[in-house]
Amino acid sequence: MKIFEPHIHMFSRVTDDYERMALAGVRVVLEPAFWIGQPRTNVGAFVDYFDTLVGWERFRASQFGIHHVCTMALNPREANDDRVNADVLAVLPRYLEKDGVVGVGEIGLDDQTPTEERFFLAQLDLAKAHGLPILIHTPHRNKRRGFERIIDLIRDAKFPWPHVLLDHGNEETIPLTRDLGCVSGFSIYPNTKMDVHRMVAVIREYGVERIVVNSAADWGISDPLMIPKLVQALLRAGFPDATVEQLVWKNPIAFFAQSGRLDLAALDRPPTASRRETHDGNTILRGQDPDRS
Amino acid sequence: MKPVPPALAALERALAGPEEAWIRERLDLDPAAARAALPVVFPALARRAGRAGLSGRIVVGGAHVDLGAWRRCDAVGTLLLHAADPVDDATLVDLFLRGDLEERTILLRAASVRPLGAATSRFLDEVQRTNVGAHLEAACLDHDLLVRALDGGLLSRDRFDRLVLKAAFNDLPLARMEGVRERPGAELTRMLLDLATEREAAGRPVWRDTLRLAGGAPVAGTVARVLGALEHGDATTRLAGAEALLALRRKDLAAYAAERLPREHRPDVRAALERAAAL
Ligand SMILES: [Zn+2]
Repeated sequence: MKIFEPHIHMFSRVTDDYERMALAGVRVVLEPAFWIGQPRTNVGAFVDYFDTLVGWERFRASQFGIHHVCTMALNPREANDDRVNADVLAVLPRYLEKDGVVGVGEIGLDDQTPTEERFFLAQLDLAKAHGLPILIHTPHRNKRRGFERIIDLIRDAKFPWPHVLLDHGNEETIPLTRDLGCVSGFSIYPNTKMDVHRMVAVIREYGVERIVVNSAADWGISDPLMIPKLVQALLRAGFPDATVEQLVWKNPIAFFAQSGRLDLAALDRPPTASRRETHDGNTILRGQDPDRS
Repeated sequence: MKPVPPALAALERALAGPEEAWIRERLDLDPAAARAALPVVFPALARRAGRAGLSGRIVVGGAHVDLGAWRRCDAVGTLLLHAADPVDDATLVDLFLRGDLEERTILLRAASVRPLGAATSRFLDEVQRTNVGAHLEAACLDHDLLVRALDGGLLSRDRFDRLVLKAAFNDLPLARMEGVRERPGAELTRMLLDLATEREAAGRPVWRDTLRLAGGAPVAGTVARVLGALEHGDATTRLAGAEALLALRRKDLAAYAAERLPREHRPDVRAALERAAAL
């Protein structure tokens, strides 16, 4: 089963994770820009992080045969920090044009402050200007209230619902979001929040239409193999292959392809950065040491 | 569109294709507007202009470039810089440092046909520290940028040696580093032989071109390695050994070529051995 993991912070993961994910069928990872576990104190730290997402991390993934795409944003947590918020907003337009940036995110609300709302709305405008869908981080505390507020803000901004992915949902929030026409994201964690069994139950009740699932793995206790594990659970529960494939491959592709920047044919083969490696049949490594490739 | 020097006409021919209107619109900007647009146009080049391959060779202002390694986005990026000229070094460096993998590749390919400058030097410094294979290839292969930078004084001999060593460490082929074989150096030989020793200690293959460079500037230990290579089980290594033996131009070693000859069956290796035996 080919898997598109639509929310994972590889920045904080080790190479073993890439190797295991590749073996378990993960072909594409989407890394949303978020905070990095501690506050950044100047815009330069964001710029370096953004460069990592479009540069080094992409290269690292490609070495394991995995395509890496990302979304760029000022995250809601650091939107509250006046040392960085305005400056980060100012550098975003350049980064939103980068190859491999397929959305604006994670934006949304965390502590649900007025400042968060201000930067959320500013980034909705950026998403419109660059023709990108948005990936929304919803609060882990006071979740239902946060969902409702985010929905109101998007509605008032007249942002198109098909370009919205409301992430970190659960059984509580799905009734709020089903009729909006947006995509609902579910993050599956080892211990807390949504787990595999609850997720199977959600799919049984709501189907897979406009639903995506992710591990949201980062530097906390989380599992980059959560989606492969969910795939196994769904197949064991009797869901047809085609249904599972829609959930873990076609749905995230359909959503992020709205950026116009997903090369669908390229996603079907492993990434490479060198034309001669693939196109001439004349690899630079021919006859050389293959394990340095 | 600003006229393009005849040497770059091959790049201009690559403009026909997808998104041509979008590309030409940006090439038609006056230089100041083109310069201002570079930071937002460059990121979009790979996906808009695409990665279709070019072919042929060009000579531009003394630079020799094999377009076989170029993609359409490299050609468009180079023409955009031409349209934006004069682009100062600070702008080029900013584009590079804030560029993604593709933007950096495009800038490195463009550097191989653009005049040498402080930005070229900075790019090569960045490449010296990179692990990204595509950037190493774009900086070192399929053109003579490295030797032009050495001959033109932009790269010191030490920096040149360290770049070649890095290319060797990553197993890039010497045959595609244009002119490098003609710039051997004793310190480079020493570093390459040390690398060979390390690789052997680890039970790993040695860079195939080691002896081709070592033969031109031998240091202690070179002769023994060259003679040993004549008996290597891998024909490419034997060829490098025979060529190195020839490059050493030592009459006293001709007997070793003669001794190997009757047992050598590869025509290319034999040809080199015959010349070495006749010294
Ligand atoms: Zn996240």
